[in-house]
Amino acid sequence: MAEDIYNYYGTKPREEVQAREAKKNPTPRVEKARQIYFDTKSSASMEFPYWYTRRWEELEGDVPIIRRAEALKSGFSHLTPYILPGELLAMRKAVYLRGSFPMPWLSEAFFLSKEDDLYKEAQKAGKASADEVTTMGQGGGNVTKSIGNIISIAGKFGLRKEEMPVLIKTAKKWYNKSVEDVGHKYEQLVPGYGTKEEIMRAVICMFDSGYTLPQGREVINYYYPLQYGIEGIKNICKEKQDQSAGYPDMERLYFYKAVYTMLEGLQNWIMNYAAEARFMASLENEANQKDEFTDIAERLEWLSSEKPRTFHDALQLVWIFHVAVLNEDAISGLSPGRLGQVLYPFWKQDMDKGIITKERTTELLECMRMKFTELDCFASMGVVGGVLSGNTFNNLCIGGLDKDGESAANELEMLILESAMSCDTPQPTLSLLFDEKLSEEFLLKGIECTKIGTGYPAWISNRVAMDFLMKNFRNEGMHLEEARAWSIGGCLETSPGCWMPLDLEGEKWFIPGGSAPATSVGVHFISLPKVLEAVLFDGLDKRTGIRVYPAHGLKLETYEEIWTTFKAYFSRTVELLTLTNNIQHSIWGKVSPSIINSMLKPDCLETGKDISNKGCRYNRTFNVEICGGVNLVNSLASIKKNVFEEKSITLSELKSAIESNFGYHSALESGSYSLIDQVKTEHYRDWLKIHKLCLDAPKYGNDDRYVDSIFREWQVWFSNMCENYRSIYDHPLYSCQISVSTHAPMGAVTLATPDGRLCGTTFADGSVSAYPGTDRNGPYALFNSATCYDHSQSQNSQLNMKIHPSVVMGREGSRKFLEMIKAYLRKGAFHVQFNVVDSRMLRDAQMHPEQYRGLMVRVAGFTQYWVELGKQIQDEVIARTEYEQLG
Amino acid sequence: MKHYDCKFYLATDVFKGMCKRDKTSINADDNSCQNFEKAQKCRHCLNFSYTSEDLGTCMGRYDAYPEMNAVTCKEFTT
Repeated sequence: MAEDIYNYYGTKPREEVQAREAKKNPTPRVEKARQIYFDTKSSASMEFPYWYTRRWEELEGDVPIIRRAEALKSGFSHLTPYILPGELLAMRKAVYLRGSFPMPWLSEAFFLSKEDDLYKEAQKAGKASADEVTTMGQGGGNVTKSIGNIISIAGKFGLRKEEMPVLIKTAKKWYNKSVEDVGHKYEQLVPGYGTKEEIMRAVICMFDSGYTLPQGREVINYYYPLQYGIEGIKNICKEKQDQSAGYPDMERLYFYKAVYTMLEGLQNWIMNYAAEARFMASLENEANQKDEFTDIAERLEWLSSEKPRTFHDALQLVWIFHVAVLNEDAISGLSPGRLGQVLYPFWKQDMDKGIITKERTTELLECMRMKFTELDCFASMGVVGGVLSGNTFNNLCIGGLDKDGESAANELEMLILESAMSCDTPQPTLSLLFDEKLSEEFLLKGIECTKIGTGYPAWISNRVAMDFLMKNFRNEGMHLEEARAWSIGGCLETSPGCWMPLDLEGEKWFIPGGSAPATSVGVHFISLPKVLEAVLFDGLDKRTGIRVYPAHGLKLETYEEIWTTFKAYFSRTVELLTLTNNIQHSIWGKVSPSIINSMLKPDCLETGKDISNKGCRYNRTFNVEICGGVNLVNSLASIKKNVFEEKSITLSELKSAIESNFGYHSALESGSYSLIDQVKTEHYRDWLKIHKLCLDAPKYGNDDRYVDSIFREWQVWFSNMCENYRSIYDHPLYSCQISVSTHAPMGAVTLATPDGRLCGTTFADGSVSAYPGTDRNGPYALFNSATCYDHSQSQNSQLNMKIHPSVVMGREGSRKFLEMIKAYLRKGAFHVQFNVVDSRMLRDAQMHPEQYRGLMVRVAGFTQYWVELGKQIQDEVIARTEYEQLG
Repeated sequence: MKHYDCKFYLATDVFKGMCKRDKTSINADDNSCQNFEKAQKCRHCLNFSYTSEDLGTCMGRYDAYPEMNAVTCKEFTT
């Protein structure tokens, strides 16, 4: 009987599995590095947290930002250097290839044992609820179980058992001192705080933001190191320090002193690597490898104080600062932004001088891809698995417009695309900022890359993004020229940028970079179907039995009553989460302020204010993230039609059907998280009629005015209501519509929904993707539904599509594919991305993961190795509608 | 002694790594070879004293642990 649902919602299998279009290969050096990566496990170490904590304790009583800078300096100065033979770019986060480390100054409870009292306290506060409903990928580099001398943490990271005692000891030193604990102490002062805890326990909200991933989903700015070099920045700090010592606004003095101190730590770190490179060279017998180690040493010795001379230098320096920021906080989505435009002056200079070739450039870019792919973010199971799917979201953007409004695409970006095809790895993911001024040659190169199944580049409208920026950042001084410097931070967060003047051998260039702090902080993913469930069941979470919201006591006799109650519950949720997360971020700024990222971000270095003191040029970055929007809208359409208009069923009957999961076993019982392969109970026939009515109700994605008008009403209301709440930086919030991976764990805790979706199954991904299998009228009908509202009202929209490889084969397929994307973006859409894959390949990969170590899929704003995804997400990707025609 | 304790051991992850001298792949916990040289770790430092099997102190005043790499530590003394 499961086959019925498959045919109802899915696509009918074709006869043969269709391979993706031919792919390219990296250089032998990079292929070797990739094979080592494939065989490497995520590994954590205690070096950095040990030295950080030791220095922090030593300086008790000092100014907090100085204490933090000294602690960071100590951490960096003591990291054991690690250089692999064959590397052209050196330095990494920690002592392992996929190395990372806990940051107990942010959060210390989750890596303690579940029996530990500290962990129990976190559970009580609802902080561990998302961890408990998340499934991690069981393959690839994840250390899912403890074995031998290795202890598994969060189902992903391996830690050598001899480091466990010091982890526990260090974690306990941060008890009641970490951002998590101090924030928790003060967030309880928010009136109605108890409801916030129940919201977290019910997993209506996925997680807090102040201590989990306090930075990220933003665009880094590499300008200062490239323009001045480290010693040059230290000189600026010294000069500013002299100007501010003893004068009012003394916070400036401490900031400059902190930056100076932190840079000394980075210099020690770089020189330790240089020394290691010389040591490796001394052991080396093979002449080329010896020279490469020596080159690394010389380059690092130079860059430890001076500004870059060449493209290779510049790329190395960019990488050093990228890793440095990642080691300052738990961060996902620190995006390199428009890196091809940042590095272009150096590359052009080298090409003109004849000291680099396109082939060598591609190899260096492939090496860069491996470095980004190695990155891991150490966080709890709920965060790293439930939200990130192990991804780190380093989004590199290409295209867009330059300062003067002309195409910003360049030859180096063509090579970035080329290297992303020859070395197809998840990081950095690419986004193509589509503008009518981009050349056809450039766009077709982007299509060539999308077609081979990398999942990137994502296609994003430059115009819609600029509209959004002008609307939301005008009050902070944003003007048209500066709006053009924007980029994507994280998977899909539109982020403001700025142009900075780079001097290189007598020529001036304006390079883009980020100019705002983290986004996707504030209200971290509200599950819309779960809020609707609470409306239907009078404020209760039926899964846990807890009362989340005060009982509304309404009979819900009209559709309007349901819609109004939904808005009331949702608004209360946003209000509480905004207030409590503001407090967490306030504490973050006091206990663990950003120093490295602050130094990089204009205009912190100029003003002497760190990020938490609004040192950035633009500060309106807090947002309200949601999940499951399409399931909400489909559910509202079903209720409206079936219960109130056609009166085919009563609300009471619908609620009973939902509680009975329409006569099916839950996803947890069946082990399947999409509507495919669900298992019926013996009572299935009792609910068959109601289930059919729910499934047959109008569904978003078919250019159906009935349901699209509900979708539009929701979108307009949502974007407007966000303006009612203010961030810690005293700016209104705005809406953010990405699911990342939250549609899996949030679906897992949600009962069946009135649209016919079953209990525990994954929600629709993204924000304008149709629920898998329900978009039956072709891509253009989906586009019409998706663009029934103004996308520039929100920080983003997200559409994932799955295309069968046969549809886009050859040159003609490429052109048709590009025309389809253009058609969608010209309708006012913000974003679309693709999985070009035969679904049966994914099914086979699920059964035989060992044969698919390198298989990548696009999830929701990111590409990830199939084997590193949890089954909740795998099932959803398999179930997505597979388009076999573009017309 | 194990590879894990050797100066020439380059860990790729918590399980395994390679020998810096001959580039062969090796498991961290396998027995080392004849070219073994002691890695610079806290437990070999004169400033380190054990307080339990897995923990100790550094210079009598800081918590420390015996297995930590000390290659970057300026206070390392033998």
